[in-house]
Amino acid sequence: MTVDPNAPTQDVPAPRPRPARYLVPALVGAAVAVALGAYGQVHDPTGTAFNLAGFSSTGAVKSWLATAALFFAVVQVISALMLYGRLPGPSWAGVLHRWSGRVAFLVAVPVAVHCLYAFGYRTSDTRVMWHSLLGCFFFGAFSAKMLLLRFERLPARLLPLVGGLVFTALTIIWLTSALWFFRTFGVTT
Amino acid sequence: MKRPGPLLTLLVGVLLGLSMLAFNTATGTRSAPSSSAAEPERPPSAEAPAASSPAAPPRAPAPDGAYTGRTDDDSAAVAVTVRDRRAVAYYCDGRARESWLRGEVRDDGGMRLTGKDGAELNGTLRQGRRIRGTVDAGGGHQAFTADRAEKPSGPYRATADVRDTTIDGGWVVLKDGGQVGILTRDGTPGPAPRIDPETGVAAVDGRRITARPVTP
Repeated sequence: MTVDPNAPTQDVPAPRPRPARYLVPALVGAAVAVALGAYGQVHDPTGTAFNLAGFSSTGAVKSWLATAALFFAVVQVISALMLYGRLPGPSWAGVLHRWSGRVAFLVAVPVAVHCLYAFGYRTSDTRVMWHSLLGCFFFGAFSAKMLLLRFERLPARLLPLVGGLVFTALTIIWLTSALWFFRTFGVTT
Repeated sequence: MKRPGPLLTLLVGVLLGLSMLAFNTATGTRSAPSSSAAEPERPPSAEAPAASSPAAPPRAPAPDGAYTGRTDDDSAAVAVTVRDRRAVAYYCDGRARESWLRGEVRDDGGMRLTGKDGAELNGTLRQGRRIRGTVDAGGGHQAFTADRAEKPSGPYRATADVRDTTIDGGWVVLKDGGQVGILTRDGTPGPAPRIDPETGVAAVDGRRITARPVTP
């Protein structure tokens, strides 16, 4: 390939974004997802783990924590729409978006720890398989999104796309676990 | 400028996860003291008798709680949990026939609960103490009586995977401490091991599974 040294150059103040640099978050996210799945597969499931006072079972604790996470995830979508100007929003929509995201993530972590510790990665039926798969995917995609946030210039659609993936994964995770729990054992604490 | 916030978020999440894992590993399978024994039971609708004047008793809502008993022919057990005018029932003969049934409780205490494969339970809750009715499940038609029972009596259920086998267990824990249960392995029903009524733990093929009380 030959390069014409006299070709007109664009006056770009910053270097052109190279798509390759997004590989780092993508690879880290993939590594997180695979590592969680591998731990769930290798670790011998114990069947039981901690419980919280005031709840009848760990399943109930997890279902309510997951429901809280989904609630904050919905806040995430709404506040993101505000940030992108698709919805009228207050000036503190950014703060709302950051903190609702943090809460949703931190609330989901104990649930995932329990799932991986007590149940492991399972594929015995469709519900459990999708839940296992997307549970690992969720934390990988979330890690990738957090790392992407550190880049200065991102393609306009990249963050909404990754955020949408994270939200979709969490929703399906909730449908295949907490909703199933509430339908099987009742809406109980 | 590199924003540190997202990295801190991830870091806190990792630390939280690791500390919970360490806590789990340190405590083994012993669960932290849950309040299952000390949990304050909802007072059995203390205002119901007071509110109902002698002339109009049936307006009071159905008293919440668990009801357990046997069929009249003594071949199967029934457990019903009532909460907020909804009921869930488990019918089980301890060998092959079982059914989970759900439905609403009418103001007069009548209930018609339905389950899979056309299973049906028709019953009436009388004076908040006893449910009398019939169950149609697995081709049979049986009358039953279930008396109000305190914890840990009631219907229990456990689902788990043990060595690539899908386990679905159901139990009626009776007032006298007796248990009637069925454990279905990959769709084949069979007798169930005893569960510890305090913790719900049962041993299946050398593994521990945990049964939970079922509520509507």
